[in-house]
Amino acid sequence: MKKFVDESWLVLVMGVVFACLLAGTQTSLEARILENQARALNEAIAEVVPVVDTMETLTVDGNTVYKCLDKEGNLAGWAVDAVGTGFVDKIRLVAGLSPDGSRVTGIKVIEDLETPGLGNKIEGEWADQYKGLDASRKIEAIKGEANRDNNEVQAITGATYSSTYVTDIVNDVIERVRPMLEEHR
Amino acid sequence: MSIGVLVGIFLSVALVNNLVLAGFLGICPFLGVSRKVDMAFGMGCAVTFVITISGVVTWLIVHAILTPIGNAIGNPGALYFLKYVAFIMVIASMVQLVEMYLKKFFPPLYTAFGVFLPLITTNCAILGACLYIDMKPETQNLLNAAVYAFGGGLGFMLAITIMAGIREHVRFSDVPKCLQGAGITLLVAGILALAFTGFTGIGK
Amino acid sequence: MAKEVSNLEQFKDGVLGNNPVLVQLLGMCPTLAVTNSLENALVMGMAATFVVVMSNLITSTLRNLIKPHVRILIFTLTIATFVTIADLTLKAYIFEVSKKLGAFVPLIIVNCMIICRAEVVAIKKGVAKSLADAFGIGIGFTLALSILGVVREILGSGTLMNRQVLPDAFLDGHTWVIMVLPPGAFLTLGVVVGVVNHVRARGAKGGAA
Repeated sequence: MKKFVDESWLVLVMGVVFACLLAGTQTSLEARILENQARALNEAIAEVVPVVDTMETLTVDGNTVYKCLDKEGNLAGWAVDAVGTGFVDKIRLVAGLSPDGSRVTGIKVIEDLETPGLGNKIEGEWADQYKGLDASRKIEAIKGEANRDNNEVQAITGATYSSTYVTDIVNDVIERVRPMLEEHR
Repeated sequence: MSIGVLVGIFLSVALVNNLVLAGFLGICPFLGVSRKVDMAFGMGCAVTFVITISGVVTWLIVHAILTPIGNAIGNPGALYFLKYVAFIMVIASMVQLVEMYLKKFFPPLYTAFGVFLPLITTNCAILGACLYIDMKPETQNLLNAAVYAFGGGLGFMLAITIMAGIREHVRFSDVPKCLQGAGITLLVAGILALAFTGFTGIGK
Repeated sequence: MAKEVSNLEQFKDGVLGNNPVLVQLLGMCPTLAVTNSLENALVMGMAATFVVVMSNLITSTLRNLIKPHVRILIFTLTIATFVTIADLTLKAYIFEVSKKLGAFVPLIIVNCMIICRAEVVAIKKGVAKSLADAFGIGIGFTLALSILGVVREILGSGTLMNRQVLPDAFLDGHTWVIMVLPPGAFLTLGVVVGVVNHVRARGAKGGAA
């Protein structure tokens, strides 16, 4: 027993001291970190739903849905968090839907590992094409000129797969979530 | 939960996002223990073994210890600052346990890859895989996490064995003096990584 | 090394003669993974420097109390603690970069360079020498990462610290995307290591050093 204490007291003392040190750091920085994470998400949501003041977080069919309200407390739209297969790794995005669920009001990719310079254009203004598309029909990503009346977006040149994968994720999540929005209104 | 999802996770981590060639994990053993194919294969087996066990155990640490205690005091993430310390301690002790277990019950296996076990604690592929399991949305249930860890280990084994195969041949070629050793190994790894980028897109 | 070296020499040795990345080939994972831009490389370098300095400081202060066979445990515990602190600090103050570095901040724990300094220097030498060594190694590490970061960012994205440095004609679809992808990291490091070896070989022949 004495031998055990002799050999290990330092490890135990250091363990306790370090744990306190970490707990201290955590307590002092936690608020800031949470604020940073919330800000990143809020910025993405603000891009896909035009007017947001407050949000309620719901879970619909396994997906997180943010019910966005404007200043007067009226329904301003829905932001749906979705994850799906991409060309390289998973792509995570938020898709915005109009209050009645009929239109896509925008999409924003938050996390992806698509090829820099090609596939990762999905993060940028390419995604603006989704604004105003019909949410009741499938969206299609096609090569060349896109016809918006047919619910089409133009795929990125050299990154057709990435574009198609984004479209698939959006279609899939809208199809599953949209019918169930009514009951959360 | 379909079998397709599991296959997807497996292929993604073993080939497309290979821990070594696309994720830059476990580079030290990849460069250091890849001179001979049989050594490389032994190292690969040892890593696969430990990575699978550690992946499962660290998953349990997060989901069965840290999160429930956090929940009990009202904030699920309250103890997450202990994650890294807990992970590395678990890996270190897993390695020790596996070493002792093999030595006692499977002596042939121990002689085959036991020598690599002590080196594995500081192999970042192991800690890296555990961290990714913790971060990725698709590995939040135990079975997926286990498949991810196992696939990651096999991917490492594949990469290091191929590398050793190439290096056995490089030995006979005329390499410029300043590139001998690490230089040429890194260049070969670059070309190998280039080949592995060809796997992107098979995840569907 | 037979005779005792001064603190300054210990420092210089870490930066140049025994550069952890380019000469000793330690800490390769972050070197390859986070050098697709100079910004990432610098932040990673500073985080690792902080950890190696704190780890050397604590280890050398306690060196007479540490029992030999629990030393690795103590090193790991110390390193893991300060890595967590670094990680939390980055998340709180430079969130964007910390997101890009992702798992590679916690992976500093298994960076063999740091545990190697504790084992080789801090456990044997005094506090001042250990600190000089840690700063030297940390800065040498940052330097090596920055070299890779500069090459890969310029060729891969045509920018430096996110500012455009190459003409539009190059940027317009002609950037070497491969440089910011994994293969580019291996190729660049291979070439840089080759160049360093070449220069060192010449230096040795000239009878310098």
